[in-house]
Amino acid sequence: KLIKNLANMSSKERMKAIQKTPKTMKEKREIRNKVLVEKMKKSGSYTTQINCCTQCLYKTSLSYRRFKNVLSGFLSSLQLWQKTLKVIGGKFGTSVLSYFVFLKWLLTFNIFSFLVNFSFITIPQLIAPGPNNLSFNGQELLTGAGYFRKTVLYYGFYTNSTITNNSSYNMQLAYIFTIGIYFIICFFSLVYSMAESFRKNFINPQMYSGSAAKLLCIWDFNITNEKPVKLKQSNLSTQIKESLSEVTFEVLHLSLKQKLARIAVHLIVWVASLGTTAACCAGVYFLSRNNLRPLEGKSELENEAAALVLPVVVSLLNLCIPFCFALFGLLEKFQYPRHQLYVTVIRNIFLKISIIGILCYYWLNDVATSEKECWENIIGQDIYRLIVVDFIFCLLGSFFGEFVRRIIGTKCCKKLGVPEFDIARNVLDLIYTQTLAWIGIFFAPLMPAMQIISFFIIFCVKKVSLMRNCQPPRKVWRASQMTTLFIFLLFFPSFSGVLSVMAVTIWRRTPSKQCGPFQGLPSVIDAVSGWIHTLDSYSGSKWVGWIYRNLIGSVHFFFILTIIVLIITYLYWQIIEGRKIMVKLLREQIVNEGKDKMFLLNKLQHLQTSKRDAPEEQVV
Amino acid sequence: MGNKQTIFTDEQLDAYQDCTFFTRKEILRLHGRYHEMAPNIVPMDYTQDPDVKLPIQLIINMPELKENPFKERIVEAFSEDGEGNLSFNDFVDMFSVLSEMAPRELKAIYAFKIYDFNTDNFICKSDLEKTLNKLTREELTAEEITLVCEKVIEEADMDGDGKLAFADFENMISKAPDFLSTFHIRI
Repeated sequence: KLIKNLANMSSKERMKAIQKTPKTMKEKREIRNKVLVEKMKKSGSYTTQINCCTQCLYKTSLSYRRFKNVLSGFLSSLQLWQKTLKVIGGKFGTSVLSYFVFLKWLLTFNIFSFLVNFSFITIPQLIAPGPNNLSFNGQELLTGAGYFRKTVLYYGFYTNSTITNNSSYNMQLAYIFTIGIYFIICFFSLVYSMAESFRKNFINPQMYSGSAAKLLCIWDFNITNEKPVKLKQSNLSTQIKESLSEVTFEVLHLSLKQKLARIAVHLIVWVASLGTTAACCAGVYFLSRNNLRPLEGKSELENEAAALVLPVVVSLLNLCIPFCFALFGLLEKFQYPRHQLYVTVIRNIFLKISIIGILCYYWLNDVATSEKECWENIIGQDIYRLIVVDFIFCLLGSFFGEFVRRIIGTKCCKKLGVPEFDIARNVLDLIYTQTLAWIGIFFAPLMPAMQIISFFIIFCVKKVSLMRNCQPPRKVWRASQMTTLFIFLLFFPSFSGVLSVMAVTIWRRTPSKQCGPFQGLPSVIDAVSGWIHTLDSYSGSKWVGWIYRNLIGSVHFFFILTIIVLIITYLYWQIIEGRKIMVKLLREQIVNEGKDKMFLLNKLQHLQTSKRDAPEEQVV
Repeated sequence: MGNKQTIFTDEQLDAYQDCTFFTRKEILRLHGRYHEMAPNIVPMDYTQDPDVKLPIQLIINMPELKENPFKERIVEAFSEDGEGNLSFNDFVDMFSVLSEMAPRELKAIYAFKIYDFNTDNFICKSDLEKTLNKLTREELTAEEITLVCEKVIEEADMDGDGKLAFADFENMISKAPDFLSTFHIRI
């Protein structure tokens, strides 16, 4: 019957079903052979004509599958760093591995963006470049200005005309469509990863503190080195001893006074953190406004140095304020250590996003509306400097945070010990850099190339630093839940913020009049509307104009779409609620069945003993 | 495309690809690993499907398994005879289930087999005690071990028979989202 079922499925489903069966390999191969024979028999019962057709189809599908397998084999051989990830997982476990996997995943975004931008925007521009009469001295690598101003790195270099080499290539449309389509693809892939991660990892977040799960699901099969295994075993035994000896603090009855005191402390710390964040943002804003005023009477070198002050200050704030937050956090007491981690992550991400937010406000409000000649270039250079300085600080932070700390921990005060790898801080740094890079794509299309280089170097440096300086983490770190949280943070404040900045730039800001692909237009989106206008003159493509005006351009359409989505969401939510109730009922049913079973077994035993006693009585 | 390998026929590679989560290249690489464990016993040419089994002592010395406290149970769970002697089929099967593409249900089935030390299809108290000893390297006292095992059974046993059936185990696994990523051995 199994074979009949399998024969009826399509080949892909059949493969999946066979792969999932928990039998030995020999049995699986036998099943597969039988299924194939069955399929042959079925197809053989038709006439010979149809037999030929199905044979052809079967052969083509087989060769297509072989080709797909070859392709996937090739792609998996391109996988970067497989061995390194294995070694890291073997020595430090899944939690630290999740940071490096996240880094690799962000790297694919940047590689994709670089390929897209380079092929569709940069290469056409390189065919017809403008003149560049500036000289190159080494400072450009740090400040991004100077020679780089007139290269393909920045927005200002791109022409607004149609490049005619052999065929005409409309640079304006290419620029806006490439960047638009890239962001749409990023959006969908982020939503997909987030949904998949959420589905796998948030099935039932409660009851993890149960010792059953701790015992049977906690062993990390990834770890393959002797010392980490021993360390993990001793950690586990300590944890188990602690949890046995402690009073369960799930039910902590605090008096009203204590509860109020705790809430007051939480409030004070939150106010302090938010106040610090606000102060930092104000400082950053005033510092950046200073940058806008040209410095007369100072040499070129001092000007460049002044330009670097803002990025250095921002990076210092990003580095030091989290430590202040940690200090504030020492005052607080949490019921679950998990909550402390979440609160720390939220405060830090709030700080980073606020700083980026205030910088975007400065860029879009002050720089874009100032009468500077090429404001997009200025923003591009600012972002370049921010990213470069942040990269340098990341390397320095790795050096001081881990290397020097290890020296201190092992030579000077032995009590401190070897540092642990701080996963949360490092991942938030990655999210911060990636947000900046995404904002920078519009103003400096080759920004992803810089990100690729910096991520490569960061991976290697962090790996070396990890291997030499850190020890495996001692506390329980729910890797999959934290990864879901980080992907969500990447989507919600980070990517959505980038989309809003892009929206404001494209719809509400006038492009500069003398540089860039959109020079002279009243707004960037006018390039697209102008193109739709020209399409209207061709009778064959009037439908494009119709779609643009009535679907994308009209408010009613989005309103109706939103209502439909909300209704569907509500329906799914109700279905989920219903299923939860059903799960509860079924679970109670299982418990009842167990009780019934015990009752019947007891009764059976009772009857058997009474039967045994009864004949004995008769005999007596 | 390059040098034609003669370790497996095409049909065999297709069969392996259909029945496991590995690609051709990975299967050939696995064969290389299997072969290098005992080059004089394992033939290079597998086209005739030779019936060769490697004993458990060789397999638990693989670097991926050497330090794992459950190495013997893992190999025994995947062997056909239950003694831990793996043919190449079983070897590929083992790493396929332990790879990251295997679904949760399949991993749960084999994890249950691994933790079931006395192979009676239930995880009873003695199985849990042995698991706990392996996890903590016997650093706990006998009292603590009994306490923990009782707590586990109390929490996870739904039908009240004092031992964990596969359904109880699967229910517990569903509450631990890390299971998929920790029950994973890279090869």
